[in-house]
Amino acid sequence: MRKLYISATAVFWAMVFVFWAGSVWSPRAEQPTVGSADRAISAAELARHALPETCWMAIRGGVYDLGAYLPDHPSRPQVIEPWCGKDATEAYNTKTKGRAHSKSADEMLINYRIGTFVPDGH
Amino acid sequence: MSALRWLSLPLLTLAVPAGFTFWAFPEGLSPVRTVAIVIGWIGCGLLLVNLLLMLREPRLAGWLGGLERMYLWHHRTGVAAYVLLLAHPLLLATDGLADSPTVAWQTLAPLDESWPVWSGWLALVLLMLGLAVTFLRRMPYRAWRWLHAALGAAVLLGLYHLILLGIDEPVLPILAIAALILGWRAVRGDWGLAAQPYVVASARRVAEGTVEIALRPLADPLAVAPGQFILVAFFAGPNFRGCGEFHPFTVSSIGRDHMLHIGVRALGDCTRRIQSIQPGVAARVMGAFGNFLAERTSAPQLWVAGGIGVTPFLGVLRAGGISAPTTLLYLNRSETDAAFLPELRAIAAATPLLSLLAVATGSALPDLEHLLPEAQHLAGCECYLCGPPGLVAALKRVLRQRGITARHIHFENFEFR
Repeated sequence: MRKLYISATAVFWAMVFVFWAGSVWSPRAEQPTVGSADRAISAAELARHALPETCWMAIRGGVYDLGAYLPDHPSRPQVIEPWCGKDATEAYNTKTKGRAHSKSADEMLINYRIGTFVPDGH
Repeated sequence: MSALRWLSLPLLTLAVPAGFTFWAFPEGLSPVRTVAIVIGWIGCGLLLVNLLLMLREPRLAGWLGGLERMYLWHHRTGVAAYVLLLAHPLLLATDGLADSPTVAWQTLAPLDESWPVWSGWLALVLLMLGLAVTFLRRMPYRAWRWLHAALGAAVLLGLYHLILLGIDEPVLPILAIAALILGWRAVRGDWGLAAQPYVVASARRVAEGTVEIALRPLADPLAVAPGQFILVAFFAGPNFRGCGEFHPFTVSSIGRDHMLHIGVRALGDCTRRIQSIQPGVAARVMGAFGNFLAERTSAPQLWVAGGIGVTPFLGVLRAGGISAPTTLLYLNRSETDAAFLPELRAIAAATPLLSLLAVATGSALPDLEHLLPEAQHLAGCECYLCGPPGLVAALKRVLRQRGITARHIHFENFEFR
């Protein structure tokens, strides 16, 4: 068992190093451009997507279609689903003990952007 | 050992992780993320089984096939859980590769994250360091025991990691059970609430570095059979200060008024100190454990003892002898080291069914190929082995080579690390 411990630990740290090296040396992923294709989405339109299957959320001024992502979210559904159809910026920024989501989450979120949130729009 | 007892530990080890996985199986995720999460839950279940197996309760030990077997599975489940929990973050990061290598690394990178991930990392590193200490055989037992206990903190921290991720529904009861088991072990096992008070009635030197101690009960005596072992902690006496830690000792005989005799060999700091023990020293005793010699048949028997491993055999012989032809091979470094040898010779001389072969082997592992009977003399024999783990492993190997199947080889190591 001692040998298993040593080899598993060595493989683990080697893999951590490989992931780190992969992020340093790989070309940065193309990020979807935000701007001209962005359309304005009002609070009323946002509110029509309050079900988990068609879940949209407004976060930091953007609107994100998170219906496909929700099953992947680590927390239990009751934590995240109530924010569907709403401005979830505050929840996003204060995930745990006042801390915001990680950079990794920010980067993943971009992939789901569909528009700009215009709270007073029609 | 009955089939049910034999199966109890494998079944428990399978059932708890399977139950956790069934309860918390993720749906609609990518295959890699699903495997990562399932592996995390299996690791979590194995850790809970691992905690349960460190309890020192005679009834539980009886159900699960003995304390020594529980400790063996405690080691197995601990290392298996560790390997799975190492794979858990690596697989989560692998899932991130579908987005980009940057996302994959950020899934792992502790500096970019917050408490939900930091707590997971901290638990994993504590587990890593705690297990590294576990494998340090030369560390003094007291320091080893405290550092090993830090693994309990790693388990609690790992469960807290899940709660911070928002997965509190199944985790809170698991956290409560884990905390209860750790508290149970600390209060009943380490602080001795499960132990009975005894006092040292006498102590006599039976070989170089070995004393036999008689313990008189001060309250209800424990139910002990010859050949079983008990956990004993020695405290203060008139001119003696014990180390207050529970150590396993085999009962060498049970006297009138439930007086327990144990053989103590100086194998570590605490047992070296016990060599100078005096009557009147307070002790606490837990047990009894083990069924090493309890299920003997009428078949011819080979008993092999290494050093102080002779005590369970002596316990049986003192309690009334044997009913089957028995050979006792007693291996020692030197004749002066051989505890109870004059008494064993006297018992052998008075017992036609017993043949005693005492061999001084020096410090090296003895030449078992020559010492053990040939295959034709072992046919139909039940073999009972008790001694240091290295010796028992070597004995098992030679006996298997001589055609003895595993179910005819019974053994007890007297090491709990």
